[in-house]
Order: sequence, then C-alpha cells, then structure tokens
Amino acid sequence: MNVLNGVITQIQSHEGISLVKAKTTKDIVFTSIVLDTSETAEYLKEGNDIKIIFKETEVIISKDAELNISVQNQIPCIIQSIKTGKLLSQVNLLFGETIIKSIITSNACKQLQLKENDKVMALIKTNEISLSPND
Amino acid sequence: MIQFYAYKMLQTSKGTQPLNVSFNIEKGQFVSLYGNSGAGKTTILRILAGLTNAEKLLIEVDGEVWDSSDKKHHLSIQKRSIGFVFQDFALFPNLTVKENLEFALQKNDNKKIVEELLELMELESLQQSKPQNLSGGQKQRVALARAIVRQPKILLLDEPLSAVDDEMRFKLQDYILKVHKHYKLTTILVSHHLPELYKLSDKVIVIDKGKILKEGKPNIVFSEQKISSKFKLTGEIIEIIKSDIIYVVNVLAGNNIVKVVATEDEINNLKVGQKVLVASKAFNPMIQVIE
Repeated sequence: MNVLNGVITQIQSHEGISLVKAKTTKDIVFTSIVLDTSETAEYLKEGNDIKIIFKETEVIISKDAELNISVQNQIPCIIQSIKTGKLLSQVNLLFGETIIKSIITSNACKQLQLKENDKVMALIKTNEISLSPND
Repeated sequence: MIQFYAYKMLQTSKGTQPLNVSFNIEKGQFVSLYGNSGAGKTTILRILAGLTNAEKLLIEVDGEVWDSSDKKHHLSIQKRSIGFVFQDFALFPNLTVKENLEFALQKNDNKKIVEELLELMELESLQQSKPQNLSGGQKQRVALARAIVRQPKILLLDEPLSAVDDEMRFKLQDYILKVHKHYKLTTILVSHHLPELYKLSDKVIVIDKGKILKEGKPNIVFSEQKISSKFKLTGEIIEIIKSDIIYVVNVLAGNNIVKVVATEDEINNLKVGQKVLVASKAFNPMIQVIE
C-alpha cells in the first residue's frame, strides 16, 4: 500500500458520492472519489488530516509529462530504485521526501527503458484512491 | 434490560489489573464480548452468573437487582435466570441425551420443554445416546439445549464453538441463532472469531485490559471509518506465498478464501494466523449473476 498524508482542501458531493481533493506536503493535490459524504463519514471535512491510500499495482508510469488523458492524479517523480523480477518489477518513485511504489510488468519497464534518476509521471485513477482519517 | 457495572482486581500473567466495566444490554439483544485473552471477558460472564464476586458491583436485570455491593445484596446463582455454555462442556456421561436435558429440570417445570428442545435442536434421533457416542458438535448441541431447559432470560456462551471445526461451527451458529430467537433470549457470547461476531451479534463490546475500548454494531466497531473502501472483508491469514517480486496472501473470510497481492514491505508485518481487514474500492469488483 502507498500511504501518504494529506489535508482535505475540497469536497464536492452529489447523491452520496464525493469527489475529494487533498493536498500533500509537497503541495501536490490528489483527487479521490468515494461512496461517502460529510454526512455519512465524519472525517470528510475540509481542513481535516487524512491518509491517501492506493495500491502499488494501480500506479501507472509515464515518461511523457504532458499527457492528454483522463487520469486525474499525475505526480511528477524521480525514479529512486528499481527491483526487477522475472515478470513484475517494483519501481520506487520519489516526489519530495515521499516514496510512491509502483508495480508494473518487467516488459513495461524494459519498453520504457526505465532507470534510476529518470524523471517520470506517476498516474493514479481517481477511483483507485481510498481515504482514511488520520488520527 | 441488563445494567452491568463491575470493578474487580484481576490477577493476570502480567500482574494485577483492574476490571472496570459498565454497559447496558437491551432485552432480546445478541451481544458479543471481544478482546485478547486476559482482558476480562470470561470474568464478566462469571460475575453476571453469580459465580464470581467483585469489589464493586451493580447488576440489574429487568428492574430486579441481582448484585449490589453498596446494599450488600447478592442473588444466589440458582435464583438467576441464566443458561451457561462453556467451551469444555460437561455432560453427565452415564445419562442419555434426553436424561441430560431432564436433569436440568426443576420440580415444577413443564417437561414438554425437553421434547420441544430435542425437536428444535434436531436431537430426536440421538436422544437415547450416551455422550461418549456423540461427536463434538453433537455434544455442544446437547449442552446448548440443556442450558435452555429452564428457559432462562439470559444465555451466556463462553467460546462455545472454539473446539469444533469450521463446518460444524457454522451449523452450530445457526442453532444458537435459532434458540436465541425462538426463546427470545438475551444472549452474551465471548468469541475471538470475527466472522462469527459479524454473523451473530447485534452489538459487540471490545474489551482490552479490563476496560471497554469501544462498543457498537460489528461492522462499525471493526471497520467503519478506518478506510473509505466499501468492499471489505475481515478474515484470517492462512498462507503467504512468494510469487516473483510480490507475495500472494490467502485470507480465509467466512467460508471463502480470498487472495490479496502484497509487497515485500507489507509482508514484514503479516503472519499466518493474523486477523486482517481486506479492502478494495466499490468501483473495482465486478458483479455477475450466478445460477
């Protein structure tokens, strides 16, 4: 699991679903969609500390910075290290002091010619991010 | 309704520790006590049954005082309307199933209840058997029936299913629910088994080191608000398998085994036998009709 600390900056709710924006320490804003509102989940209040949680296998890596795609969470990172397996590889990405781990196929790793210190974008779909109160 | 307050110094493996708990239970509720061993769960049941005393006590059941340390009042165990089933049940070995039930009757009790319980618990075909010829699950069914012969207001169950296998556990849970509803009992269960607590309880009281940590509906107590994910299971890790650079964790949740992928860092905190919450977002699972 990738777990980042954040503060809720905006909540947009409609018919039980909320689009939640949360800022992390590096001023990067994450967007998550949840089946909750401030009525059903107490912690969903602007200004509250939360944890931003997503699975390593849901982190897409792109070498292009300017992308015309639907993925809302696009975080500029530097590759810190790569652990290569036969089929899968774990790429540890650094943004600021924070590490985001990504697990992609080793084929994808080769195709993109990923190596340490490369500048890449970490992409995470809005519906892959879970939130949790930070207490 | 049960109003319970108790303060008692407990001797534990780590020295003395006070049990200091206060809770209310509505009539007809199914309440589970959950917590580590040594937390004081069994002591609570024993105090309620009148088997154990405490320094400070106030127990009131449907307006009747059972214990009051202030008024030095203590209702004897025989006068308390309770049924009790322990993990290591003791049936009379020289009596048949039916005789074991009849033995629990008192002078003016209606004997019809024995026939009714034999039928309800599906023990009719075994009624002439001696305990030595019964399986563990069958014995526990008899113990449960015997606890209800006197039609108690309160049924106390102390880990009654921990000695039986999962399949039998599942069936016995259904019998417990059946008698709970049929006889409109107020039931208090001590259990470590999360799927069981979910299935049976209206309310869970989590006890740690002699104090109540939290109480409420099982889904709220165990998972709600910890994570926004809506697709959640609780279960026990039964196997961890290394595959390439990742690990596959097999989790037994109810009667199903689910598989979860984990990284090496995560595995450092996981071991077989641990209770875990498995969560995914409601957006991920696919749903299909099965026939």
